[in-house]
Formats: sequence, structure tokens, C-alpha cells
Amino acid sequence: MQPAASSTGAASPRRSGLRTLLFGAFLASALLLPQLPVPDFWITQANYIGLYALVAMGLVLLTGVAGLTSFGQAAFVGIGAYTTAWLSTSVGLSPWLNLPIGLVLTCASALLLGWITLRMSGHYLPLATIAWCLALNYTMANMEWLGKFDGILGVPPIALAGVDFTDGRNIFYLIWGAALAGAIALINLLDSRAGRAIRSINGGVVMAEAMGISTFRYKVQVFVIAALLAAVSGWLFAHFQRTINPSPFGIKWGIEYLIMAVIGGVGTVWGAFAGAAVVKLIEDQLQVLLPQLTGTTGNFEIIVFGIALVLVLKYAPQGLWPFVSKWVPAPQRRRDWDDAPALPERARPAAGEPLLDVDTVRKQFGGLVAVNDVSFAIRAGEIVGLIGPNGAGKSTTFNLVTGVLTKSAGTVRFRGEDITALRSRQIARRGISRTFQHVRMMPGMTVLENVALGGYQRSRSGAIRAMLRLDRAEERQLFREAERQLARIGMAGQMHELAGNLALGRQRLMEIARALCTDPVLLLLDEPAAGLRHLEKQALADVLRQLKSEGMSLLLVEHDMDFVMNLTDRIVVMEFGTKLMEGTPAEVQASPAVRAAYLGTEH
Amino acid sequence: MTRELLRVEQLHAGYGKAEVLAGLSLRAAQGSVVTVIGPNGAGKSTLLNALMGVLPARGRIAYDGRDLADVALEDRVALGMALVPETRALFGSMPVEDNLLLGTWRLRGRRPADEGLARVYGLFPRLKERRAQLAGTLSGGERQMLAIARALIGEPRLLMLDEPSLGLAPLIVKDIFETIGRLRETGVTILMVEQNARAALEVADYGYVLETGEIALEGPAAQLARDPRIVETYLGAGASRSDGRTA
Repeated sequence: MQPAASSTGAASPRRSGLRTLLFGAFLASALLLPQLPVPDFWITQANYIGLYALVAMGLVLLTGVAGLTSFGQAAFVGIGAYTTAWLSTSVGLSPWLNLPIGLVLTCASALLLGWITLRMSGHYLPLATIAWCLALNYTMANMEWLGKFDGILGVPPIALAGVDFTDGRNIFYLIWGAALAGAIALINLLDSRAGRAIRSINGGVVMAEAMGISTFRYKVQVFVIAALLAAVSGWLFAHFQRTINPSPFGIKWGIEYLIMAVIGGVGTVWGAFAGAAVVKLIEDQLQVLLPQLTGTTGNFEIIVFGIALVLVLKYAPQGLWPFVSKWVPAPQRRRDWDDAPALPERARPAAGEPLLDVDTVRKQFGGLVAVNDVSFAIRAGEIVGLIGPNGAGKSTTFNLVTGVLTKSAGTVRFRGEDITALRSRQIARRGISRTFQHVRMMPGMTVLENVALGGYQRSRSGAIRAMLRLDRAEERQLFREAERQLARIGMAGQMHELAGNLALGRQRLMEIARALCTDPVLLLLDEPAAGLRHLEKQALADVLRQLKSEGMSLLLVEHDMDFVMNLTDRIVVMEFGTKLMEGTPAEVQASPAVRAAYLGTEH
Repeated sequence: MTRELLRVEQLHAGYGKAEVLAGLSLRAAQGSVVTVIGPNGAGKSTLLNALMGVLPARGRIAYDGRDLADVALEDRVALGMALVPETRALFGSMPVEDNLLLGTWRLRGRRPADEGLARVYGLFPRLKERRAQLAGTLSGGERQMLAIARALIGEPRLLMLDEPSLGLAPLIVKDIFETIGRLRETGVTILMVEQNARAALEVADYGYVLETGEIALEGPAAQLARDPRIVETYLGAGASRSDGRTA
């Protein structure tokens, strides 16, 4: 994508037209398929594919987007299926009543499971979901009232307006209606405030939290959404098969759903459909072929899928779908936010008002004192530099002020309020924003979307509003603000580029725009000039002076001394975790102690 | 003139799209101690990583007259190049002596390990005292000594040190640099990058000043140590004007 195709994007209508056309063709063939003289076998296959795709798209959200792996989706399918099967046979309730009951049960169990496991990092979640899947499966298989291993027979069909849903050609519409509705809801979700927050989880929680996002809340949300999609699939499954037993809800299926999502393409919703289709169709062929080849019967297809999974992960980690979608490039976002109202802004402090007061702050890592009782203050409208040799504790100090690290001792006050014990996102909400020494961004999102992440805490729409597209007005406000901040640092022309394609210096500038998008009072910049060319550095210095003239206060860590000396009002010098001195640039340059810290002393 | 062990011409290296070294040239004579000094972010670690083959690089690196362009990292080790990284990269849960024995890999039994141990324990008596202790329990200075000793036990011809003074208190820094000075007697060529300009120039024969990826100054160490322009590369233009004393 050319940066020149900046604002309107002349090429986009045609492309987006092609996408719409293809989706329309897909929809039409789905509508027509049962009416055509297709053998029943293929209708049944299509029904299974729709059921599997519902589960796999939940995994796309959970694993592909948020980076949380679950082997337990089959168990949530089981809850949906068993709830409706038991209630409709033993209690005699209508399937339409059982659906919400099943969803409530699923939601409750997903919340409980998520609440316990999602705080843990690494492989605890996958392990917990395996345990959950096994436990639920054995429960189903051992309960007298759930029919033990025989399961529940004679589940009634769904009844609606006199249509016979025992016919595969009719339930096809329910299954595929649910699958397509789910897909559209997820696509809507991913392109929204909540969706950006969900996508940012995968970029490491530090950046997301610094933008004011509660990552735990969104982890729970996606876990619940994925579970609910699985439960809908289970509900349909029970009334489609008309008989259920525990085996399709066991760990083998838990793994197979994940294989579908990975093979199809764990990064896109349509990949779930591709994966479900490929796995279902190949599995049927293999079940015929492999016993002939080996001469014995058994679940040999799982070996083939294992190999296929390894090959896909090695050679096409984004799955098969990108090979399809590259023929239809995503359209550029339409720029429709010119007339959107501005986002609310916070009241700015008067120049000279005390802003940040860092008082004898200390950080110990075991026996190592990384920051040793450091104190300094910043007044509104000041640019303060924080310098020191490698390992002096500058970034640690940043992390203490912004709440990324907890303080071992000392207090930090911001606008008179004690923020010592606050979390990073709570501090962000009070008007302190930051950039990172190593750029933290979402390389797969556009520059505009990355910057809009900064506007998270100035907007409200949640996942449900996003799925129903009730959030568009606010989205336009967010993008207007994001573009405005990008224009401020001279990057509006690159807003539709993928952030990962930017040069490093530009990525750093984008981080500044994202930080500005949070409407901060105090901006903490960690090496903003690193990777910039000389002229770009001058332009950046101009932007920072402009911000200062608008009442912004800045604290910056920077190694380019000409940049620091020319820009800052005051400099704090650190060495070995302690504050060496504080003074004007000229005082710092003249200080023998600072020279000794940087150049060493003669022995 | 003594023989040249290392010659670098027009070296470009960086990380992805960010170029850190923009056409750097330097040389090191056999048996000399050469230092590259410069402030944070000048590209000092990038230089050593590019020379060692940890980072891809463009330009010419000649080692003992041989072009290293197609020589892989492990083959550079086999040729006698050794890098002591900034992080020290010790195995904290292994005893000191096992860390040292790992360094004998290059010799692969061609020489008894005991001989090498005796040699480095001679240079670093402190490590002998702590031979059975876990490397993770050593002090900062001892860790740096262990990292250097582990490189030396493999009998390298070119020893590259990445900021040996980093994170160490001034007294320990003095200790480390005295040790580095003593290594000169073993005949090994040392290329050391340092932020601590004064200490590095005191022990080195020749020095280069690196500033944002380029050599800003070079010269015999004793001469360079008196050059007021060094202060400017560290503390910005105008720093050398603001008082008359030399660096």
C-alpha cells in the first residue's frame, strides 16, 4: 500500500466491492444449496462443517487473536448439547427455551474457569482446559441420569413455524444461519474498540494496560464468547443428530477443533470455515482410505492430522485461508470521520502547577537496588530529561512512575493524588501516558488502529455494541482523534499502512501519537529520537516544543545528548540507581560528577 | 609494524530496518589492546555482535587475512574468536568450574582440561576459591571475571569484551581493568568496547570513539585520552566549552 494513497483511498471502493460480491456469492450458494439436487450426503457434510466452524471461530478469537489456547472447547459444546438433550427429553421443555438455559450454564462455567485460570500466564490455561474437558467428559459418561456412555436418545427436533427440522436440508438453514451470524458478529467485534483491545492482549499486557485496558477483563470476555459459540454449536448438534453420547465432547474433539482453527487460519474468522471444511472432508476420505492401506482399522487419521498440523505450523503459520484471501486484499478503511464530534478532553493544569512528585522511590530486585531512593518533581509545562549511563535505572524509574513495576518504597504523587499503589491502567486513566524503550505495538494492525488504541479510555462501547454495529458513531470519533494525533507528528499519510511495515523511527513516532491519543497531561517518552535521522529529530523536537507550548509536560529518557540539551528545561542524571544531580543542561554538561559517571574516572 | 589480526572495512549492521553501524572501519594489531568507546546507543554492542557473526553484516571483515563473509558463528569460534557478551551469559545454576569447562569445547580434548583450568585459575585466583559455587551466586565483578575466564580457557586469539565495566561499582571496575591489562601478557589480542572512556583508554594501546554508528575520533590511547572532543560525543555539543578542563 502506498503512503501516498493517504486520505480517501481511491482504489478501495473497487476492492471492497469485490469482497462484497464474493460474500454475496457465498451467501447465495449457501441459500440455494439445499434446494439443488445435491445428494443428501453432501448436505450432511455441509451441516457438520457449519457446526464445527461455529466452534472453530471461537478459537480464532481466543487463540488466533487473543493468544489464549484452549483444548476444552468440546466440553462447552457438550454443555450446550447435554443441557438441551436432557431438558427436552426428561423435562419436556422446548429447545428454544433450552438454548438460553444452555448459554447461561456455559457462561457460568466459562466465567468460573476463566476467573481461576486466566490470571495465570503461559501454559496453565491450555492445561486447565484439558483437565476441564476430561473432567466434564467423565462426568457425562458416569451420570446415571445422563445415560452414562449410551448418552441420551430420542432428542426431539427443533420446532419452528411448522418446518420439519428432522430434514437435513431444513436444519441446514439454522446451522448456517447461526454460523454466518456468528462470523459477522466476530468480524464486527474485531473491528471495534473492544476488538482492538482484544487484539492488543497478544502484544503483551504491558502496552495494553498502559493504554488503560483491563486485559484480564477482555481475556474473560473472549473466553466466554468462544464458549458461547461452542454451546450454540452443541445445541444445534443435539437436535440435528437427535441422539447424543459423551464421545464427541471428549479431549480428542477438543484437540480436533484446535487443529481446524490452526489449519484453516487462526488469524481470520473465515479461516474457521476453511479449517472445518478441510478437516471434515479429509477425515472422511482418510477413514475409508487408511484402513485399506494399513489393513487394520483404527483412528489413523489423527496421525495424518498431527503431521498436517506440524507442516502447517512450519510452512504456513497463518493457515490456509491467507492463500485464498490474498487474491482479495482487504479494502482500505473508508475515511468517514471528518464531521465526527471531538472526543472529550480533560482539564489541563495551569503552567507551573506541581504535577508529578516522585519522593524517595526505591526498587529492589532481590539484593539488587535498581532504583535507590530517587526523588524529583515535574511542574506543568516543563520538559525534563532523565539521563545516565547504561544500567543507571532510567527505564526502571519510568516503570515505577507509570505503575508497570511496583515500588519497594517511596511515594509518587500526581496532581496532588497519591498514585504509588495504583496499577498501570489506573495511572494511565489519570493522564500519564508513555512510550516504550522497545516499541510495543500491534504490527498486524494499521497505524491508525494502533493509535486509536490510545483513545480506549476516552470511549465506552463494549463487545456487544460492537457485534451489533451500534458503536459506529464513537468509532468515527476515535479515528478522527487518531488521525489528528498522527497529523500532529507528520504521519497522517501513513495511517493506512500496517504498523509492522514502518521503519523503526516511524514506529517510535507512532507510539508518541498513540500516547497523545490518551489525552495525557504528562507524557513519558523512552528514547523517542532513537532510530530517527537528523531532520526527523529536528521535526520531533519541534513537535515536543509545540506540545509544551500547549501546556503538556514531558519527561524523557534519551541518549542523543544534543537532542536532550537543546530541548529540556531541566535534567535529572542517574548513576547506579541513584540520582547523581539535577540541573539545567548547561549545569549538567559542566558537572565533573556527570563527566565521571559517563566517561569514568582515572585510576 | 606488527602483524594485523583484525581489519574491518565499511561495516554496516543493524536490526531489521534500523541500521546502527553505517560504514565503520577499524583494525587491531596482533597482541594489542584496542578499545572502542562511545556513549549509550552508539552501536558498540552491535559492532561486536556483527564481528562475531551473531548479527548479519555487510562490509569486509578480515581476520588473520581471511575474509569472514561466509564463515558461520561457530566456525569463527573455531578460528579463535571469542565474545564475552554484555549480559555475561553465564549458566547461573551450574558451578563455576562447569561454566569454565564449557569454554574448553573449542579444544575438544586436544588438550587436557586441567591444564586450562590451572591456567585461568592462575589468572583469576578468586575463581579458584569459588570453583564449586554456583555461578548465579557470584558478585557482579566475579561474574565478569568468570565470563572472561570462560572465553580465555578456549585459548582464543581475539578476545572481544562487551562493556566489561557495565553495572560494576568503581572499585570493581578498577579491578577488572587491571586484570584486562594483565591479559596482554598472554599474547591474546583484545577488542573491548566500553562506555567508561577513561578506564578503557588507560589500559588500551589504541582507541576509537564511536558516535551514532560512525567512528568520530581515533588515535593512540594516551593521546585520545587527552582529547577534549570526547566529552562532546558523550554529553553533547558545547560540553567541552562549558569548562576548560580536559577529559
